[in-house]
Amino acid sequence: MAGGQERVLRRRIRSVQSTRKITKAMELIAASQIPRSLARIIANRPYRLGMQRIVLDAALGDPAGAKKLLTLSEKIDTALVLVITGDRGLSGPYNNASLRAGERLVTKLKSEGTQVQLFCVGKKAAAFFRFRGLDVQESFAGFVDKPTYADAQEIARHLAGPFMSGEAQQVLLVSTRYLSAGSQAVRVEQLLPLVIPELPEPTEPEPLHGYTEFEPDVKKLLFFLMPRALESEIFSALLEGAASFHTSQQRAMAAATDNADELGQTLTRVMNRARQDSITTEIMEIVGGAEALRSGK
Amino acid sequence: MATLNVEILSPEAALWTGTASALMARSSEGNFTVLPEHTATVGDVVSSVVRVQTDEGEIAFAVHSGFFQVGKGLEPDTTLATVLASVAERTTEIDVARAQAAKDAAESRLAAATKGEDEELLAYAALERAELRLSAAAK
Repeated sequence: MAGGQERVLRRRIRSVQSTRKITKAMELIAASQIPRSLARIIANRPYRLGMQRIVLDAALGDPAGAKKLLTLSEKIDTALVLVITGDRGLSGPYNNASLRAGERLVTKLKSEGTQVQLFCVGKKAAAFFRFRGLDVQESFAGFVDKPTYADAQEIARHLAGPFMSGEAQQVLLVSTRYLSAGSQAVRVEQLLPLVIPELPEPTEPEPLHGYTEFEPDVKKLLFFLMPRALESEIFSALLEGAASFHTSQQRAMAAATDNADELGQTLTRVMNRARQDSITTEIMEIVGGAEALRSGK
Repeated sequence: MATLNVEILSPEAALWTGTASALMARSSEGNFTVLPEHTATVGDVVSSVVRVQTDEGEIAFAVHSGFFQVGKGLEPDTTLATVLASVAERTTEIDVARAQAAKDAAESRLAAATKGEDEELLAYAALERAELRLSAAAK
């Protein structure tokens, strides 16, 4: 029946249009969050770099001690894996990309005979890994849109404990790095032992760096420094994660809005044709009826 | 003449950067002052008031534990002193009423916490922060 089809189409168009309103609103909200989260990354940068400089200086001051603290032990029995995702979906590939990378990493570690303890940031990560039947040691959620430094400290506290006590030998991080507005990529990074790119061989004396004084002495300092450096790295990962989340969501919602526009247009055309068809049929029927009446006279 | 550039940084923001004549703070080994041409040093900063002396007067920050680094600046003949603090604020920006409320809350938390638990340490740290804020703001 022609009229029925038209009614069905009209209903679908309305539904597409109301979905479009939602996706458009989400796009605008996400877009408004992007500059704020970027500003936080930029504000954090001097601190993060300063922290890296201090760790480097301390490591150079005591290369032998640093080597013990900062190099990976030969045998890794237990690794802690921290996976950072968002609390909410509808954000394009953001959550899934780090979840897949996290899952791959866990499988790889397990196949090498390493015990894995999972730590999840964001509701999506905890739900995903629990559904897969993996033990989630600890999950943190509710702050990933706007992480504070206290959140990073809380996470760091849970990760540093097992590492300091020797229960775990490595702490790995799976998170999305904000490379630029156009590109965010999932990275697997080592948090502990701390990674220092330019750690020299302890056998080589470093005359240029030999004059740094330490207060308290360097061994103690490195010990104090490690948890703070861990917090700093986690915080920057949280900030970049938040920025990536908003960017990814904005892009996904913009695409969804475009799709809704296109779908609405197509449906409107189909509906117009259906309406035209039904009108034509109706006229034909009237004309046909009138013809029949006239010839029947 | 050698100049001293000072940066007071927290994870959320660079609190203050600029040229100063001296930086005074307290490490776990005692009070120290950094002047231009100070030797390269790395150390910790315990909860205390960090003071920066500039041409326009003294600027004070309540720093709740952190680290400092003194080294050569990027430009020739400059010394760069960096203070990194997980929590820090300018003493002029401290909200005394809020700090007092935080102190009271921390005291009751400390009283309720069982000995040796994380909670006790956290409450104690909160109390210490509040007390530092109050004493820094009073000066």
